[in-house]
Amino acid sequence: MTTRRELFKFAGGSAVGLLLTPAPWRLITDTALWSENWPGIPRPARGEIRAKFTHCGLCAAGCAVRARCVGEQPVSLAGVDGGLCPFGVTGHHLPYHPERLRKGNRQEAASSVAGAVAAAIAHCPPDQRVAVLDLRPGRTASWTYRRAMAALKRGVYLAPEEPACAVNLAAARTVLSLGAPLLDGWGRPSRVFAARPDFRLIQAEAVESRTAALADQWLAVAPGTEAVLGRAVAGAVSVQQAAEITGLAEEQIAQVARALRENGPALIVAPEMTSEVLGWNLRLGAWGKTVLPRREAPVPREWSKAAPVTRLAAVKDGSLGALLIDESVPGAHLPWATIQPKLAPNAVVVAFAWSRAGYARHANHVLPTAVYPEAWGDLPAAVDAASAEFRLTVPLVTAPDGMADPAEFVSTLAGLDAKGFENSAALRQRAGAIQASGCGGLRTYADGKSTAVKDMKPGDFWKALNAGGCWTGEAQDCGNLPKLAMPVRDCDAVSKAGVGMSADGPTGRPGTGPEGAPCATAPWPFLLAVDQPGAASLVSPLMSKLSQESGLRLGPHRAAMHPKAGFEDGDRVVLETPYGRRPIEVAVDAGVPPGVVLVADRPEIADILGADGRARVVRI
Amino acid sequence: MRRSVFFFAGVLAALGAGWAGFPRVIYHSRPQPVDFSHKVHADKAGAKCEDCHAFRDDGSFAGIPTLDKCAGCHAAPMGTTAAEKNFIDAYVTPQKEPQWLDYARQPENVYFSHITHVKRAQLKCVECHGNEGSTDHLRPFEQDRVSGYSRDIWGGQGRPGMKMDDCVNCHRRGAAESMRHPGGTPRAGERSCLDCHK
Repeated sequence: MTTRRELFKFAGGSAVGLLLTPAPWRLITDTALWSENWPGIPRPARGEIRAKFTHCGLCAAGCAVRARCVGEQPVSLAGVDGGLCPFGVTGHHLPYHPERLRKGNRQEAASSVAGAVAAAIAHCPPDQRVAVLDLRPGRTASWTYRRAMAALKRGVYLAPEEPACAVNLAAARTVLSLGAPLLDGWGRPSRVFAARPDFRLIQAEAVESRTAALADQWLAVAPGTEAVLGRAVAGAVSVQQAAEITGLAEEQIAQVARALRENGPALIVAPEMTSEVLGWNLRLGAWGKTVLPRREAPVPREWSKAAPVTRLAAVKDGSLGALLIDESVPGAHLPWATIQPKLAPNAVVVAFAWSRAGYARHANHVLPTAVYPEAWGDLPAAVDAASAEFRLTVPLVTAPDGMADPAEFVSTLAGLDAKGFENSAALRQRAGAIQASGCGGLRTYADGKSTAVKDMKPGDFWKALNAGGCWTGEAQDCGNLPKLAMPVRDCDAVSKAGVGMSADGPTGRPGTGPEGAPCATAPWPFLLAVDQPGAASLVSPLMSKLSQESGLRLGPHRAAMHPKAGFEDGDRVVLETPYGRRPIEVAVDAGVPPGVVLVADRPEIADILGADGRARVVRI
Repeated sequence: MRRSVFFFAGVLAALGAGWAGFPRVIYHSRPQPVDFSHKVHADKAGAKCEDCHAFRDDGSFAGIPTLDKCAGCHAAPMGTTAAEKNFIDAYVTPQKEPQWLDYARQPENVYFSHITHVKRAQLKCVECHGNEGSTDHLRPFEQDRVSGYSRDIWGGQGRPGMKMDDCVNCHRRGAAESMRHPGGTPRAGERSCLDCHK
């Protein structure tokens, strides 16, 4: 009879014996390995590793991108000719952004929205118009909108101002940048940094931005007065007047003017290359050297029946019965305060958007769209492209089902045959027109070769464009450019009107109120919006997470101020302008000049940022 | 004496279970989808390892060839064996990629560069993959039921495994060898964590 004691002995012996086998040790190792694979651990894609080429669609610079893909999944992005900006490097994260619109029955929504807009068009009075607001004009989709609006009797095509000229940085020897983030994503980083050793950069900016830090000379002007320096250099305002307004010494301004005159070819760049900035460059003799006409890729002849480009300011108040806003690609943001007065009382507003952060906040209907790098499209000519260009944002990942194609939606609404107007068909037609022109050459990034278009077989051109190729038009004959004369604002007009940055930019002297009236008791600080990873239009979840958690860059819900502003780190304040209020957290930063509030450039901020660029800071 | 019998019986039972029974329980043996003969390809077709397991132009390792590569020669049956018929009918004709079971699958958090080991350190394929290249049949894939990985790269005790210790041991041996023969082929020693865990 086996006793209980003997059973325990057997168990004890088994335990000892088990230690002499691989079983317990194997289980310990296996458990550790198993923990690498338990639920919740991200599983990277597996598959063949290969490179795909496309163009970055996050801004109009449209850098060439080499995407390292595992199977069909892009896992890292790099520039082809040089680096990408921080946004571009993390662009493949954008489809997974937490603010991405992807829920709901999109097909049903699209048809009901189409019905609502059609009803609004049918019932609105004859003096009301239907408009498309295209935030990135110059694309093939923009041409589709213009054709659709031409087909619609009361259609209006609205677009923000495009650059008035192209810039050839490679030819410049002295560059005056008036607050343009020249070394921080203004043009193509590869082009800008390739040309950088050959030009002297003078950066006029209120804060020491990255470009200011890397410039040869930084001129710390009073906030919002950069344009005055441009006018002074062009001779439109006197040096004394400019010195008084910008806070610079007269000698400094004279030196800048001398440097631009004597060390040419010279170039003046601003965040927006408006016709006024072009005028200053003409005064410097930059036409045909560093400043060139902006060329657009050819379009099919049958597209000539298109609605003209209208500026929002030219639209009568209360005249828009329906407004369709294409926010599917990042572009300019027009403050809602400038759009709202143009709408009729019962206007229908539809936003084509990938996130709910922009105009989706104000629209009656929002239709989700594909986003870079899912979206199929093309890019307008970059501001630093000396020749016409045509390049596609070739999708790297498949868009979720049911995403709206804004061009197809608008053309259907206009009663056009949607099949020929959907973006992929229009792109193909345009590529055909370019090939038919026989001009220029196509560069393929995989082999680095350039082929003359006239030597390419039909079909090969389209195939090469879809493999990430870039068509570049003939180089401009700078010696035969037509003469251009642009009026530059005269001194009297400027001094009477006060100081202006541009028609749409900040105006008014420092220390004045929103209407230009002196604000004697407590001058409103200048609200300076800077491009930051928190900007909704240019956001990657990785970059926004880094910026929000590390504090290395200004986060989307924070405002930096000088210690003398009287606030502590972490204080909650409200930025108050005539256009609205926005709560925000204070970050004290001695690098921000007194009287300036530095905020990230987000739609919420742009909406309250009036033309004067000022806000009252109210402690909560 | 009787008192010790039960204790040693327990020890023996545990040893038997641990050494003989445990491996049968912990490893799940699965056949490969195709009975592939490396020997036939090496001997009759004269193929070398790198003909099928090639490096791409960018230096990355293509690994197990895809069906396109196989179908280059096997568009029609080459021979009358059952394995050949199965391969053509089940995979080549319907254009279906065989789901090969990878003995050398690495954990997700490991970066392993074939080209560094093969071209720079000049390791022969057999040093890690053993005589796999000359076998007539693919051995069953023994999958660890807990961890999900293969039992080893090419089977048997003392052969290369998939644990970090195996990598570290080999690199230590390489370092010692490099010290003994300073002018010889560089064999990497111990490196930083980020060399493998990028």
